[in-house]
Formats: sequence, structure tokens, C-alpha cells
Amino acid sequence: MRNFLGRHWFAFAMVLPVIAVLALLVVLPLLQGLYFTFTDINDTNIANPILDREATYEFLGWQNYVNVLSGSAAYGSFWATLLRTLIWTFACVGCHYGIGMGLALLLNRRVRGRGVYRVLLILPWAVPVFISAFAWRYLLNSEYGLVNWALEAVGLPGQVWLGQSNLALLSVIVVNVWLGVPFMMVALLGGLQAIPSDLYEAADMDGATAWQRFTNVTLPGLRPVSSTVVLLGVIWTFNMFPVIYLITGNNPHTRILVTYAFERFFSGATRDYAIASTYGVLILSVLLVFAAIYRRAMVRQGEVL
Amino acid sequence: MRPEATVIAALGLVGSLTLAGCGGAESNANEVVYWDTSGSAESEVFRQVAAECEKSGDYDVRVETVSFDQALNNYKTAAQGGQGPDVLRADVGWISQLAEAGLIQDLSGTPLATDTADYLPKPLESTKYQGKTYAVPQVTDSMALFYNKRKLAEAGVEPPESWEDVKRIAPKLGGENALFINNDEYYALPFLYTHGGDLVDTEAKAITVNSPESVRGIRIAKELLDAGAARTALDQPNSYSSMKTAFTSGEVAMVIDGPWAVPEYTGSAAFSDPKNLGIAPIPGSATPSPVGGHDYVIRQGSDATEASQQFIRCMSSTRSQARIAAELGLLPTRSSAYEDPDVADNPIVQAFKPLAAATHSRAWIPENNELLEPLQTAYADILAGRQDPQQALDGLADKYKSTVLPDYAKR
Repeated sequence: MRNFLGRHWFAFAMVLPVIAVLALLVVLPLLQGLYFTFTDINDTNIANPILDREATYEFLGWQNYVNVLSGSAAYGSFWATLLRTLIWTFACVGCHYGIGMGLALLLNRRVRGRGVYRVLLILPWAVPVFISAFAWRYLLNSEYGLVNWALEAVGLPGQVWLGQSNLALLSVIVVNVWLGVPFMMVALLGGLQAIPSDLYEAADMDGATAWQRFTNVTLPGLRPVSSTVVLLGVIWTFNMFPVIYLITGNNPHTRILVTYAFERFFSGATRDYAIASTYGVLILSVLLVFAAIYRRAMVRQGEVL
Repeated sequence: MRPEATVIAALGLVGSLTLAGCGGAESNANEVVYWDTSGSAESEVFRQVAAECEKSGDYDVRVETVSFDQALNNYKTAAQGGQGPDVLRADVGWISQLAEAGLIQDLSGTPLATDTADYLPKPLESTKYQGKTYAVPQVTDSMALFYNKRKLAEAGVEPPESWEDVKRIAPKLGGENALFINNDEYYALPFLYTHGGDLVDTEAKAITVNSPESVRGIRIAKELLDAGAARTALDQPNSYSSMKTAFTSGEVAMVIDGPWAVPEYTGSAAFSDPKNLGIAPIPGSATPSPVGGHDYVIRQGSDATEASQQFIRCMSSTRSQARIAAELGLLPTRSSAYEDPDVADNPIVQAFKPLAAATHSRAWIPENNELLEPLQTAYADILAGRQDPQQALDGLADKYKSTVLPDYAKR
């Protein structure tokens, strides 16, 4: 052991600042947040040295978890919100992946003006989210929006896209799909270009059809890229806050776990650190469970994540 | 470079970054930092008034413009850590929650709290919490019925004095284009107040939002829609902008809005002649509009308390208030400011003056903002016809009881 340290002390010394900063900025707040979930902390009982106020919050044990997991409406109807979050996440990531794959396949061929298409398709990704969100909010305006105008022009009835109905959830999913496709497309295009062309030639020699080439060469060749981007996509989308919040505000039909945690923290008269942290820990747990299952499934298919 | 030197250099860099991050801003007992949350059309005038106060007093003033939407959260975060402005322009609805959290100074006993005979009583109520005074009124506001004078004259009708009048004159004003009802919660309050309803009764500690009076009041909004005498935008996030579009394009004859919207309306083609913009009391009860406005507060923990008090005294003086009113059309909170000749010449202030005197008090409890947010959903459900008013407001009362005000009695 001493010998090991003696030989590698320089390496340890080099990573020490990074470990210290990570511990300070990530691990410590995480542990503190975890502790808060067992208390009734909010901004009227938190310690405040400037105001000469001692902390007066109390340890509650599992009470916050019991309240939230009971699914009561007073604590954000956890199970219904979780279900909506899952619908939102998998609808978004499924469309991202499917449409992104289609576009990547199209762009992987030699077509004229390929560079122009690529730039245009990346555009939604390059625009700041809040600008896209506000633009979509105006497009989806039920009275003066372009979407309803176009529908009515072809004789279809206009819809109240962002009203008090599940159509609002559909609307935000559509917007998020529009925003997220470019990332998938670029990532998958990179993956496609890394597949050696002699594999396709060999498949041709064996008389494979286009579909067989796709399922037996392209998809397996893409797996290392796909598995990573799908996992990333699920995590991002699960916690995607700005699209929903900027387009529909606090509409209960588009509420997902993170937007509820935000509402709980910011819209109350007192900032409820305890319940917001509880939601944070539950979101983290759901994602950890998902990542573990996903990784196991990938390992079974022979991937190393 | 030798390894040791690299390590020392790296540690030194990290250390200096940490120090830089933790170093607080220096405070100055003679400099008042003022967070102005007024709109872009207004902030220049407030800045000038503040600069004049700086000249006349023996303190410095630094005005920082903060967006109104962000101000409450930014202020809470900053004040909790001992940072932030010395003086904040706070919405009247924020005072009680900031006082409850101990983030603003108790001004009771200072001249700011005792010398208040000149102030209008309704705005002054907003400065008090649990018997103490925490703020000084800056401006007040009241919603009104805005109408397109030309359209009403062409139809040969007078501005309505009751909701029945709206129904009666609507056919002449193009049916549903007579009135645009905004789907936002604050705009539901005039309907709620019509038959004496209210959100809560703070004295009896009771939730009254589903009382028969409240339900009857809110039902009027739905009835106007059903009778084809009004329209609304059912997509709540776009509702306010749709209302403004409909009114400024001349599609709709009347809307309910506050004085903050006047610059936008008079800037549009339909009201390029400001005389075309009529301002009348909202139909309904004698006190149809919730009282709104802004107050000055001093941050708890400010090092410039003395200078801040002087600054607020100057900013809220009759002279400053009169200047703000004359230039911006905002409503003064001092009755003496209305007598200033320049203010007396301002048509907007004159039109709003009687309305500001007849506003409806709000519940000055820390939860008052929290009461409005769920009302937004309930009101949108009612207007969309998804829920009957009684059912929606019963649900809202349950929500108040379970999340917002657990120790209030539900009827």
C-alpha cells in the first residue's frame, strides 16, 4: 500500500483538487438535500446568521416520503404525476430516436446540398430553448396562432392546444420532439458513418435485401451509440423543465415530477425545501433504477456501458 | 516545471477561485441600492426621481432594474444570504410573506410608519402585517373596464353599469365581441366579488371561495360566455396576449385590465388617439377591483438602514409621487399628490382616481399569492365548461384546506 501511494502520489495529487471541488459542489449538497428530506425545513425555520435566527426545523423521519408516496393531491399526486412523466419521457425519446434515425439515414446518403439540410435540421437545437418555447406558444395560440390558421385553411377545426386538457400534454411533447430530434440525428449520423462499408458490401454479396441490411448491419453497428444516447435522452427528458414550464405554466395536465418540485419550492409563500428535496431524491431514485435496469439489459446484449 | 511546483500552482489556483467565489460584496452605509421592478416604459422616470433624491440627500443611490417576474425569488435568495438591495419595490401582495420570513425591516416607530395620515387607506393596509408596519406605499392600482369609445358610440350604447347591461348591449356590439374575458386568475376576482364573495375571510379564518356568493359571482363569467355576450381564450398561457390583440385590433369593444396596460393600448393603432380609450368602473359590486400596487421595503440586514429610510421618505414624498403620476399615469398613494396641477391634468390618473378609491381589500396574509395560483386552474376549467362553478370552487376550497391554509375552516 505504501509502495502504491509512493509510486502514484503525483497522480493522486493531480486529481485531488477535482475530487475536492466535486465533493464540495456535488456530494455535499446531495447529502444535505438527502438530510432535508427527513425534516420539515422551509425558509421560515432555516438558520440565518445575518438575521440572527437559529434553525428551528425538526427531524420528521420518513414522514415526507409517506406523504408524497401516499399519492395525495396535497403533495402533488405522486403516482399520477409519475405516470404522466413516464408517458412524456418515453413518447419524447421514442419520437426523438425514430425520427432522428430516419433523418440520419436520409442524410447518410450522397444527396445534393447535404450540408444545407444538415444545418437546417440542426437549427432547432441551436436556438435557445426559451426562444423556441415562446415561438411555439404563439404558434399554438388558439385564437391567432399559425397552427390553427393552417388547420382551418384546409377545413379542419382549430383546437385549443394549450388549454385544460391532455391536448396540452400532446402539444408540449410535439414541441420537445421538434427540439430534441437534431441531437439524436447528429449522434446517429456519427454512428452510421463509423460502420465500415465493407460490411454492407459483404451483405450485398450475400444477397441481403435493404431491410435485412438495416436490421442486421445498421442496427447492430449503431448499438454502442444508440444505447448511450437513449440513456442520456431519457435522463434529460425526464428532467426537462423549460419546455413545459415556459409553454404551459402550471397547467395540471402537463405537470411532471420536476415541474411540481419547482412549483412546490417557488410558488408557495414559504419555500418548502423539505418536499422539494423529497421530490428530488425520488426523481434521482427513479432514474437510478431505470439506469440499472437499462444497463443490465445492455450487458445482456453484449454491450459495455 | 517540477511536479511539486505544478501541484502548488494548481492548488493555488483552486484556492484563489474559492476565495473569489466566497468573497462578498462590500457594503457601504451611505449607499442605497434600490431594486426597481417597474416595466421598461416606466423605469427611466423612477431612475430620474431616484437621482434627484440622491442630489437632495446626503447619500448615494444605485438603481438596479430587476424584472418583476424574477424579483421576488431573487430577493428572497439574496436576502437569505445577507445580500441584495437595501430598498426593494415590492408588490403589495409580497409584503406579508417577506415579513413572515423575516426578510424585511419592521418600520413601526419610524416616521415612515407614523406619518401616514396622507395615504389612501386601502394601499396603506397592505403595508401592515400582524399589527406592525413593514412598508411604505409607492403606487396603487385598480382594474377598470376599458372600452373603445368609437365602437360604443357607433352602436349607440353607454358603458355598462352591471353585468346584465353587458348582456343587453352585446348584440349591438357584435355579440361575443362585446367583451373579452381574460382567463387569468387575477381577472377572475371582479366576478368573484360581484355578489360579495371572496377567496378567504381572514378574520373568521374561513375559506369562502366556495360560498354561495362566490359561486354566483364566478358563474356570471360563464353565463356571459354562454349568452354569446363575451368571449375568452381557453389556452390560459396565451389568454392575456390574445385579449390585448383582440382589443387593440378593434375586434373587441371592451376588456377588463389595469392601468399598467394603458401605455400598450395607447401605443396601438386603434387607440392612437388616446381619447378613444374609455375607462369606466368594472360592472358588478361597488368595490369591483382588487387593490394592487407596489410598496417600498427595506431589507433586513441592510447596512444602510438610515440612508434607506431617508431615500424612501424622498421617493414617497408628495412631490416625487406627483411627478411619477404626471409622467407615467400611475396612481399616487398620497391624497395630496392628486391635487398637484400636473396630476390633475393627466387624463389617465383622473379616470382612475375614483376607481382607486373604491377597490376591494385583499387578504394580507403570507399565502395570498398561493391562493391565486390554483384559482387559475379552477377558473380556466369553469370558463372552458369542463367543470360546473360549484364543483370547481369546491375542489379549490379542498385544495386551500389541504395545501395552503390547513388551519382555516372550510364551509
